[in-house]
Amino acid sequence: MSNIMKKVSWSSREDDPGVAERTPLLNGTSRQFSSSDIFRIGRLSTVDLEDDKDGSSSELNQTEEIPHNEKLLSVRYESLDYDNSENQLFLEEERRMSLLGFRFLEFKRWLVCAFIGIFTGLVACFIDIVVEKLSDLKYHAVKQSIVKFTEAGGLCISLILWATLNAAFVLVGSLMVAFIEPVAAGSGIPQIKCYLNGVKIPRVVRLKTLLVKVFGVICSVAGGLAVGKEGPMIHSGAVIAAGISQGRTTSLKKDFKIFEYFRRDTEKRDFVSAGAAAGVSAAFGAPVGGVLFSLEEGASFWNQMLTWRIFFASMISTFTLNFFLSIYHGKPGDLSNPGLINFGRFEDEVKEYNLYEIPIFMCMGVIGGIIGALFNSLNYWLTIFRIRYVHRPFLQVAEAVLVASVTATVAFAMIYFSEDCKSLGEEPVEHPLQMFCKDGEYNSMATAFFNTPEKSVRSLFHDPPGLYKPQTLGLFTLSYFLLACWTYGLTVSAGVFIPSLLIGAAWGRLFGICLATSSNSMFADPGRYALIGAAAQLGGIVRMTLSLTVIIVEATGNVTFGLPIMLVLITAKIVGDYFVEGLYDIHIKLQSVPFLHWEPPPTSHALTAREVMSSPVICFKQVEKVGKIVDILSNTSTNHNGFPVVCDQEPKRLCGLILRSQLIVLLKHKVFVERVNSSLIQRKLQLKDFRDAYPRFPPIQSIHVSQDERQCMMDLREFMNPTPYTVPQETSLPRVFKLFRALGLRHLVVVDDENKVMGLVTRKDLARYHLGKHGLEELHLAQT
Amino acid sequence: MVGRMIARRAHVIKCASRKQEVNWHQCCPELPVSEHGTAQISCLNKSKMRFTDFIILAVYIGLSKALQPDGLGLPVAEWRQRVSLSELSLSATGFSDSFPLSIDDSHCQALSENLTQKCNAFVNCTLRYAQPVGVCLNCYKEFYDYKSLYRIISLPDKGSTDNCSQILLKSDRLQVFVVFNDFFHKLWEESECENCVSDTVIKNDTLYFLNVLQITKSCFDTYQQPGNYCDVCKQCKENYSHLNEVYNKMGKNSSLCIDIEDMMNMTRKMWSKTFNCSFSRLEAVPVIAVSSFMLFLPIIFYLSSFLHSEQKKRKLILPKRAASSSNLMNIQEKKS
Repeated sequence: MSNIMKKVSWSSREDDPGVAERTPLLNGTSRQFSSSDIFRIGRLSTVDLEDDKDGSSSELNQTEEIPHNEKLLSVRYESLDYDNSENQLFLEEERRMSLLGFRFLEFKRWLVCAFIGIFTGLVACFIDIVVEKLSDLKYHAVKQSIVKFTEAGGLCISLILWATLNAAFVLVGSLMVAFIEPVAAGSGIPQIKCYLNGVKIPRVVRLKTLLVKVFGVICSVAGGLAVGKEGPMIHSGAVIAAGISQGRTTSLKKDFKIFEYFRRDTEKRDFVSAGAAAGVSAAFGAPVGGVLFSLEEGASFWNQMLTWRIFFASMISTFTLNFFLSIYHGKPGDLSNPGLINFGRFEDEVKEYNLYEIPIFMCMGVIGGIIGALFNSLNYWLTIFRIRYVHRPFLQVAEAVLVASVTATVAFAMIYFSEDCKSLGEEPVEHPLQMFCKDGEYNSMATAFFNTPEKSVRSLFHDPPGLYKPQTLGLFTLSYFLLACWTYGLTVSAGVFIPSLLIGAAWGRLFGICLATSSNSMFADPGRYALIGAAAQLGGIVRMTLSLTVIIVEATGNVTFGLPIMLVLITAKIVGDYFVEGLYDIHIKLQSVPFLHWEPPPTSHALTAREVMSSPVICFKQVEKVGKIVDILSNTSTNHNGFPVVCDQEPKRLCGLILRSQLIVLLKHKVFVERVNSSLIQRKLQLKDFRDAYPRFPPIQSIHVSQDERQCMMDLREFMNPTPYTVPQETSLPRVFKLFRALGLRHLVVVDDENKVMGLVTRKDLARYHLGKHGLEELHLAQT
Repeated sequence: MVGRMIARRAHVIKCASRKQEVNWHQCCPELPVSEHGTAQISCLNKSKMRFTDFIILAVYIGLSKALQPDGLGLPVAEWRQRVSLSELSLSATGFSDSFPLSIDDSHCQALSENLTQKCNAFVNCTLRYAQPVGVCLNCYKEFYDYKSLYRIISLPDKGSTDNCSQILLKSDRLQVFVVFNDFFHKLWEESECENCVSDTVIKNDTLYFLNVLQITKSCFDTYQQPGNYCDVCKQCKENYSHLNEVYNKMGKNSSLCIDIEDMMNMTRKMWSKTFNCSFSRLEAVPVIAVSSFMLFLPIIFYLSSFLHSEQKKRKLILPKRAASSSNLMNIQEKKS
């Protein structure tokens, strides 16, 4: 068995079917899964039976193509190395460091968090101001035209002007996203969720992504799409955190030579969670909500100091935003704009609720859950269609532009045909449109449509009762629901928080009005129901619980409303989960990300590490020939990242684990035994060399190894992780899963009684199993 | 003033506790008359008192008197100065006819009476012009008079010895003058009168607007025929839109006050409701056409991309795993 291990790989190679055939697999029989169908793993015997059947009948060199669906795992995604590689170099460096050194390091962490907060706040401030300016300009121009053509006739010119302006903004935004950085599309929350889960999404935390994200979101909000700027703020915060903590930008090729200690996945991921929290905090003015968001969505390791640092970053971020907005509004020091979305100050009668209203609120939670589930399933089908058919960049741009102009058209038609007029002056309205109302009155449909979504939310919360007619609200809810559902998933960077709030606020207000008319104004204030409806709708769509409750409580600035909001969110989540998953989870699945949930799938106890692991495994010897390393690394079909290192003498016991990135650095610096002996290298390789290469290690193809050098030997002992985590073969899947999830592992070696390598468990091996309609199902690996 | 409060409270308590038949007002002279005392008595403020509370109170007062032997000692001199005791009547009916109390300082007395008059004038005026709103343009003089007098009282010249501000404005808990002053200022601020009138004169912008409004109104009057308003709409359109322009311009300069807003509102209502001169939805067809064309585009887009775009396929990668059974067999074989 031992000689097998050296020769075979532990994963498939679709380009090289012959290898699999040549390879003597375990027990001498060649076995291969046909993965043409998803098979059930009810219990062990079922698996065995089907395995045998499939194994005998399958074609070995068959590669199959199927349309994209949710039951795939992409090989594109790698894990983060959250677990530190404790090799000799690392230990030496740590031992050299004094107590003062560690103190200084801790101080630097705080410093980084402060910077994260400040820059996140500044970016939020920039977005807010630019969006406000641009949309003011746009609405002003359109209003001028409408006023002109209402009198003179030819209002369709205004319609075309509005649609063109929208389309132009969105064109710019979606061009940037589609052609410069596609990963900046959408709200970015799914991507950040994945990153915090431990999946390395390519290019997700780069400076270029940040720029595209920021300008993209400005374009899409100013372009009048049914989107918000809050979700992208979380992504922006995360990118800022990743950038600052590394003290350099590889996009601009600028290295400030600071914070070099933080250049590894462990530290970076911690800072990214702080950045995400700072983003939430700047978006909603909810520092505690931000911390809880990071807790709920991310960080597996959660210690007290990290929490405290994250909270610090959040506070700094909301303060920075507040401070600079106060300067912008001409009232320096008046700290009343803690977040991008400002729910405004609620009057006392809105805040006070009665005990008998709680069941009503929960009914609204049920409605929110159902509408949210409908939203998610519609968006699911739309997204599948988009992945399958609208995948070329120019088609995506065209789609976005189309949506933008249709949004303007729908809004215009709604305003045009609305009969609902209110007299001017009761409440300040930003862009009052008269249209066909009497003089001194304005169209109340226009307050909802002819405005940025945030302002519409605010007016739905606060406008006095009787401002909107029920039919206006009903029509608005319906049309905005469809528009928002259609918009999410376009190739523009935009969030779904605000549209959800707006839909919810509209039907909540409608609900409140209906209650008031049916019950003699016992439920007087529709603003309260608008708030509850918004919470229910948001909960029904995104299905966050703890963090969302706190975010809404903080954004409304009112703790007494905490209980109803929590109950509503719980109800909405329970009802929604009955039908379909949350929107972010759907999108994570559709992107084929190997995402590990909190818990292993139930009914997976029957599986053991032996069934889960990939096997056989490519291993290296402690002193390995350079030629072999280069060959294995450059084999494109076996794009492995971790290699167990085995002892030289029999039996070949496991004695370490080495990563591809480390091998590449070693090859680049030509750390060969022969050269060290002949003292050709001036200095010893240090941890700094690994850090400098992080996070973009060069591909193996860029490293030239001459024919002579191929004969050299490489001593891996100093660089490998001598104490990798291992499990015996009989370990159950849930146990392996928990180890993985809690420690943030990337590779877990499966060994037998003699400590010989039997297999390797990676993230994808675990993420394959999920609970489907027919019990435990297995996902396919696919190239995307 | 403290004595007055005691009188009133004693009255209240007496009414509330008639059943207990306690001749409460007899205790009053024993009450410690001080800041301290006010605080003690304020607990009596609750209109309903039970007998037990009474006893507790009595004990408490006795106690505090015991602790403070010269109970009446503290600010009696001041008290005497400000309130002429002869008028402090604690008769069984509570209040005597001789209210209000007179103030010793005759200068302050005069000021107080004067201020009352000004208040009256202003209140009268605002109420008279409450609907249709004409508060700013009709009452600005009254407000100015009142305001200047109040300023004289509240901010006496430096060096002057009179402390009417202290006596009239700050000596009791209620501070009626201050409350009214706040109320007047709030009224004035909310009506944004400052935009139309500056202290004693009506601003030029406002006069110009009134002028334009007058012209428009006279136009309305000229062409108005009951039942047939076509003429009005045609003839006065120019005037009316000029008025609108002026109004909008004033809105931008923030020189609008409630009077002008209200006048404009009335005029607009007359124009669009009574005369029915506003626009109607004449040309819905082009809008419908353009909208439906726009709504039709996505359908074409999705259909064409469905039909012509190549469906994205994913290459499956075969996982290489040790099958459970084989491994199991392997181990079993080895063991055997």
